[in-house]
Amino acid sequence: MASLTVLIHSPPTLLHTATTKSPYDRTPSILRYAPSSSQFCGLKLSHSSSSSLRSANYCYSVKGSIFAKVNKGSKAPSFTLKDQDGNSVSLDKFKGKPVVVYFYPADESPSCTKEACAFRDSYEKFKKAGAEVVGISSDDPSSHKAFAKKHRLPFTLLSDEGNKVRKDWGIPNDLFGTLPGRQTYVIDKNGVVQLIYNNQFQPEKHIDETLKLLQTL
Amino acid sequence: MGESLKGAVDMHMLMEPIFAGWIGYILADLGSGVYHWGIDNYGDGSTPFFGSQIEAFQGHHKWPWTITRRQFSNNLHALARAITFSVLPINLLCHDPVVQSFVGVFAGCIMFSQQFHAWAHGTKSRLPPAVVALQEAGVLVSRSQHSAHHRPPYNNNYCIVSGLWNEFLDKNKVFEAMEMVLYFKLGVRPRSWSEPESEWMEEIDMAS
Repeated sequence: MASLTVLIHSPPTLLHTATTKSPYDRTPSILRYAPSSSQFCGLKLSHSSSSSLRSANYCYSVKGSIFAKVNKGSKAPSFTLKDQDGNSVSLDKFKGKPVVVYFYPADESPSCTKEACAFRDSYEKFKKAGAEVVGISSDDPSSHKAFAKKHRLPFTLLSDEGNKVRKDWGIPNDLFGTLPGRQTYVIDKNGVVQLIYNNQFQPEKHIDETLKLLQTL
Repeated sequence: MGESLKGAVDMHMLMEPIFAGWIGYILADLGSGVYHWGIDNYGDGSTPFFGSQIEAFQGHHKWPWTITRRQFSNNLHALARAITFSVLPINLLCHDPVVQSFVGVFAGCIMFSQQFHAWAHGTKSRLPPAVVALQEAGVLVSRSQHSAHHRPPYNNNYCIVSGLWNEFLDKNKVFEAMEMVLYFKLGVRPRSWSEPESEWMEEIDMAS
């Protein structure tokens, strides 16, 4: 039975509507945010046999509950976005095998680069588990192309320009709404979300947590 | 500082001004880091007011050893000018020994930060023994800590007074968080996110 394992319990941070006109026009209009500390440490919704809610006061105190539009156990909503080559790619394309969908803030930022390179370096392990890896940010396809080329990324990067999918999936922002959240989903071969992991500044942990879960699928 | 001492004696207080001075020393290191981070990552030679400093910092990254060849006053005069204009009014308007102690130590550390920085580029054999002792005691920024700032990715160890904030700021990715916020709010990328351009890369003279 699935349970909510809270490593860090972040307050609900509601998404803003960011209308990105250009790659450098990223001024979001903050609608609301929970007036609590931002989340730097990991938050995981994991597949566990325990039904009790455990919370660890690791960095920040436990407050409120988590609101998310895509939860563990729900079917991942489909989307179609352009990849780094300008081709339209739908999430449905990956049906029949597990897929790791990781949302990250921006190409070439230090943590995003670390995360992408960590996925790259462990890509064989993901392939071995039969899984595909897809990275999503609001950068345009040309930015993704340069990012993928520079760091030799073997997987697909999708452009969620306008942050539509990010909003639809309910990914929380960090630092009082100023930073797009770094959240990773593991979706099983039936299209059901089995893991949601959030950690803004420890990007390598996304790989560890997702691989750990994939071993059990 | 003299006025602070006199005031402290007159008011029969000692610990408060000493503590305030210590806080000034601590915060000067933090201030040096934030300022250094800003100058290293944003703007260029055409930036109003800061342009010449930005260029100087870029030049320093290219030729880091030249700072050790500058005279003492060369290292201090620009900062001394800024400190004079900011501290003098405070000194004229405020006579509280606690405030004066804080301001005196804070400003003094900032003024001398460039010399501390220069010493951090020195070699052990060429530095005065007292300076080496202070570096090794963690009172002044160490040579090893600062040399890490001059290696890729050039995005850490920004503090140059004592360096005591460096571990905390780097471990908690404080500057990275600030860079991300500035990027998403203002659309400005810091220089440290890109491949070092020639201005960042240290020029090493190869003997022919």
